[in-house]
Amino acid sequence: MEFNTYKGPYIKSPNKTNKIMLHLVVALLPIILFSFYKNGVVLYKHNLTDTYGMFYPLIFVFVGTFTSFITETIYTYLVLKKKNKDLINSIKNSYSFLPGLFVSLVLPLNTPLPILIIGAVVAIIVGKMLYGGFGQNIFNPALIGCLFVLTCYGSVINSNGGYINKYELDTIGSATPLTNYHMIDGIGNYDKVVKPYGDLKDFLFGMIPGTVGETCSILIIVAYIYLVLKKVIKWKIPLIYVSTVFVMTLIIGSMNGEGIWYPTFNILSGGLLFGAVFMATDPVTSPTTCLGQVIYAFCLGILTVLFRNYTSAPEGVLTSILTMNMFVVLLDRLGSKKKESIMQILIPMGIITCLLLGVSLLVGNKYINSDSSDSKFKIIEKKDNYYVVSQVGNGGPIKAKIYIKDNEITKIKIIENNETENYYKLVTNKNYIKTLIDNQNNLDKVDTVSGATISSTALKKMCINVKKDMEK
Amino acid sequence: MKRIINGIVNENPVLVLLLGLCSALAITNNFENSYIMGICVTIVLICSNLIVSLISKYVTKNVEIPVYILIISTLVTVLEILLKEYVNPLYKVLGIYLPLIVVNCIVLGRALSVASKENVKNSVLDGLGVGLGYTVVLMVLGLIREVLGNETITIMKEISNITHHEIILKINFHSDLFPINIFNKPAGAFITLACLLALFNYIRGGNKNESN
Repeated sequence: MEFNTYKGPYIKSPNKTNKIMLHLVVALLPIILFSFYKNGVVLYKHNLTDTYGMFYPLIFVFVGTFTSFITETIYTYLVLKKKNKDLINSIKNSYSFLPGLFVSLVLPLNTPLPILIIGAVVAIIVGKMLYGGFGQNIFNPALIGCLFVLTCYGSVINSNGGYINKYELDTIGSATPLTNYHMIDGIGNYDKVVKPYGDLKDFLFGMIPGTVGETCSILIIVAYIYLVLKKVIKWKIPLIYVSTVFVMTLIIGSMNGEGIWYPTFNILSGGLLFGAVFMATDPVTSPTTCLGQVIYAFCLGILTVLFRNYTSAPEGVLTSILTMNMFVVLLDRLGSKKKESIMQILIPMGIITCLLLGVSLLVGNKYINSDSSDSKFKIIEKKDNYYVVSQVGNGGPIKAKIYIKDNEITKIKIIENNETENYYKLVTNKNYIKTLIDNQNNLDKVDTVSGATISSTALKKMCINVKKDMEK
Repeated sequence: MKRIINGIVNENPVLVLLLGLCSALAITNNFENSYIMGICVTIVLICSNLIVSLISKYVTKNVEIPVYILIISTLVTVLEILLKEYVNPLYKVLGIYLPLIVVNCIVLGRALSVASKENVKNSVLDGLGVGLGYTVVLMVLGLIREVLGNETITIMKEISNITHHEIILKINFHSDLFPINIFNKPAGAFITLACLLALFNYIRGGNKNESN
């Protein structure tokens, strides 16, 4: 890339790397303290945990931060062979503790500490040092660590309690808002999507299940304003990113006759705000040119909506940021070209707008077309005293033989399932099938198994669908 | 002997020449598949090197590649038919990967660079060496991936129809951290291969500097 430098004299920016680091920590501090309140103090007040448990969120964040600091120090000392002053200098100027801090903030609190440590080590070594250290990495190191942990140990985290703390287990139920939204057929409605967690105000103030750092939207917005005023982050990216998601979900919502709550729910739930403010604006892995930043942010929004509605994972922020990280060089090259005519800006913008509208219409149509009957459910065989049915679960269809007598389910026999063993074990351990049979006239009230939400929901839906069919 | 060691160490197809990576990444999710694939490639490699070195005098430069591809694909087809007839279970295990040996660049690469220039004995030995090198790397990859990703070592499972023994070793780390699912997936293959490459070239590079 060609850099145009102008002749001096230059004004020195007061933002040195150390200063930037300090501002970031100041902005993150309220978020960490809030998590301490929500996951520690509240639990302690309700006698759900001891003093260690109360301070656990702080310990959790500290372990992540400290691990990444130590890992980078050791790596620079042993592999890069820097000693004494060099070592101190390079550690000082490389944000060495930030990846670990972010890893601990984007993972749920129920992650066991060894796994958190692995995540922080992977973030530093694979995500950052192997690319050549600070300033050379293509991908956001913290997200690399997080992705590694979630793909390898997702089931371990889930069986350890998943995204909910003990207090929420009593009051709310078993899943994060986005997972819950993901489980609903079609677009759902306010009562189904938001009501179980209180109302949208709870979403704003962060009393909902989620990872350590992502829940409290209002503090993240305050942090955004602070960081922009201090000129630490690029203001365009978060603003455009979030408003793209807002506009797109507004279109999707209004196509399905849902009100303003739907886009609001979409931007306040999950890691969208946190990712937009802290992850997408990472100084190394985001574009530096103006046009590049604008396109980057638009694409992030489009990808997030697409991933949230079209993939098997409920959350799309992490994957979309990592995906767009790959295109940063290209976007910067586009942005750094001299603009000879207005068309050079209009054409990319036109393409982006078409994409935006196209994806919104696509997703919106998907929900319009999904009628009340469940597309994941199939009746294979139907006899007087039994059904053979299949319902798509986490790993593919679950096949079952359901014995009936006088319009009552008497026995459920699972013939075939491809669920992940750890998840499926949770379902069988809790005698979930027996619970379903016992409560078959009141299936909507039966809770799903925490940690194995998708598998247990599939079983539940299977029963509901069979019931419906019998009533016909 | 020198030729064979050369094939395993100095001109190791996967770790030094970076050939045949596709199959090395795709089928190494367990130990058994790895060594079976390695043996099949070795057999094809030896045969193709033998035939190519015999006829190389009569082949002009212009039609070299088509002719050699023809020879290799004939050999693979023969192997496929033989396996299907006599060891059907093995044929089923190998599935799509067997026909893919045709386009495995190791075989064509050795035919072009060695067999068409050297005499018969050297070509065959080279085929054996390179084939062994490929097999060893695949076995190591398969071993690491299976132990970390599945906590087992499958030595005989699919081929137990032939040997009438089933040997699957179980390893238990007694830890929440194992098995690491990513090693079952293609991403794990890339990570393992990259680490192996780095380690191998680190050790080899050290030796080279000393000899210079």
